[in-house]
Amino acid sequence: MNALSKLVAVEAKLFLREPVSLFFVFALPLGLMLVFGLPQRGATADDGGQHTELTFLPALALALTIGMLALFTLPMALGIYRERRVLRRLATTPVHPALLLIAQVVVNLAMGVAGAVVTAIGVRFLLDQPAPANMPAFVLAFLLGVACLFAVGLLIAALAPSARAAQSIGPALFFPLLFLAGAWLPRDQMPTVLARIGDYSPLGATVDTLAAAWAGESPALPQLLALAVTAVLGSVLATRFFRWE
Amino acid sequence: MPAIEVEHLHKRYGDKVAVDDVSFTVEQGEIFGVLGPNGAGKTTTVECVQGLRRADRGVVRVLGLDPVRDRAEVRQRVGAQLQESQLPDKLRVREALDLYRSFYRNRADIDELLTDLGLAGQRDTAFHKLSGGQKQRLSVALALVGRPEIAILDELTTGLDPQGRRDTWDLVESIRDRGVTVVLVTHFMEEAERLCDRLAIIDSGRVVAIDSPSGLLSRVGTEHRVHFRPLDPLDDALLAALPEVTDVRRVGDEVTVSGPEQVLQTVLSALAERKVRYAALRVEQPTLDDAFVSLTGRATRTATPPTTDERSS
Repeated sequence: MNALSKLVAVEAKLFLREPVSLFFVFALPLGLMLVFGLPQRGATADDGGQHTELTFLPALALALTIGMLALFTLPMALGIYRERRVLRRLATTPVHPALLLIAQVVVNLAMGVAGAVVTAIGVRFLLDQPAPANMPAFVLAFLLGVACLFAVGLLIAALAPSARAAQSIGPALFFPLLFLAGAWLPRDQMPTVLARIGDYSPLGATVDTLAAAWAGESPALPQLLALAVTAVLGSVLATRFFRWE
Repeated sequence: MPAIEVEHLHKRYGDKVAVDDVSFTVEQGEIFGVLGPNGAGKTTTVECVQGLRRADRGVVRVLGLDPVRDRAEVRQRVGAQLQESQLPDKLRVREALDLYRSFYRNRADIDELLTDLGLAGQRDTAFHKLSGGQKQRLSVALALVGRPEIAILDELTTGLDPQGRRDTWDLVESIRDRGVTVVLVTHFMEEAERLCDRLAIIDSGRVVAIDSPSGLLSRVGTEHRVHFRPLDPLDDALLAALPEVTDVRRVGDEVTVSGPEQVLQTVLSALAERKVRYAALRVEQPTLDDAFVSLTGRATRTATPPTTDERSS
């Protein structure tokens, strides 16, 4: 395990040396919250739409943090490691290159959790949002959301022919997912079919279950299941199709 | 026990045969060259030796071990530097060595290694700020950080400037002087000639010859060529009639006389005797390049089986 802890330590250092990823994780979600959240707080909302739920925006900010790590940072880092033959190089040492993938996932997860905590605390105090009311459900929703989004990210890393491709597939997938989650148009104003797809899409289900738990309700079971199924399916396919070179 | 034994190695990718029939033995403590043009099957051969690929047919033994079945043990004892392998941009030299060192049972002293490889001043430099030669030396250092018994160096000097290339050659010799067996994969004849104790020439997936550089040269019997520009009238037939001279050519006012090593002496004596003055004298000795062209050319023209005389013993 010495090699794995060394790999994790080195990957963490490398992550912290990238100002762009730090900005994505720690600054952007909170910034978005303040830009969109403050005006919303000022308005009186009583039409009951998705966007007027007070927990929707904070939940979206958390999902955004994880989503960017899972869909942008992770696939690109792994693509670069493959392209630069770092994985191949590791294969010549006594350490299996899979350890590097594990280290990458561990570091991105840790950063995701750290980013989520920073965002949650920011929301709590800057926007005066109460802490999540249903904490166990909140943690469960968060973990399933993370697992689901990271599995999708790993699948991108497995299938993308190059680091450059991974770099474009990530965003190409991220923005439609964000749309399906109701980031622009509230899902209750979407055509029914689109809204149903959105309910069970990775970001949509993450946002909804987080928001419900935050408000003190129980997250919908089918949505939690959708996250779990996507997580398992994505990981299995990623493992099956991952190319080491 | 030899360091590496390869017998009748065969590997294909789909329809393409990468390695057709390769056999060679690397003795402990030598610098063994695997030489051939790009796409000859060199890299596939060493990848089978490293256990990165499984051979379709044939036997590979590394320090008496099977590189696929005993992969963990072979990897502890064989260090590899891969062609075009890079590191993350912001990883620092010391961090890279410290990381790779943690993978091995026998660990080299990092400071000593940095000094030996001339990287002591770069210990805190990020990978992307290193020069080409420094990157290459770091790559070699990573191959040595586990105190290997065998170091496999693939296309070590590709992309280096002439000075960097010479420095790297000195480095390879110093690795051998530590008692490490070195397998050097290269397509530079000059490099093989300078460094290798013995080498295998591979072409189209087959071993064309295995010998020492001088052995290869003498085996091929490539001729020396004497070039000069006569300043007085000179009849070419006179030169052609000399013993040992095999060929005389004249291009413009330059005459080229071919023959075995002594041909220079013969030509100079003949010129002196006839009081023919000359200028721009230069002698071309056979190089491994010539040997290579001659060996591979012969192999393709006459369809004789490749000379693998090392195996017949």
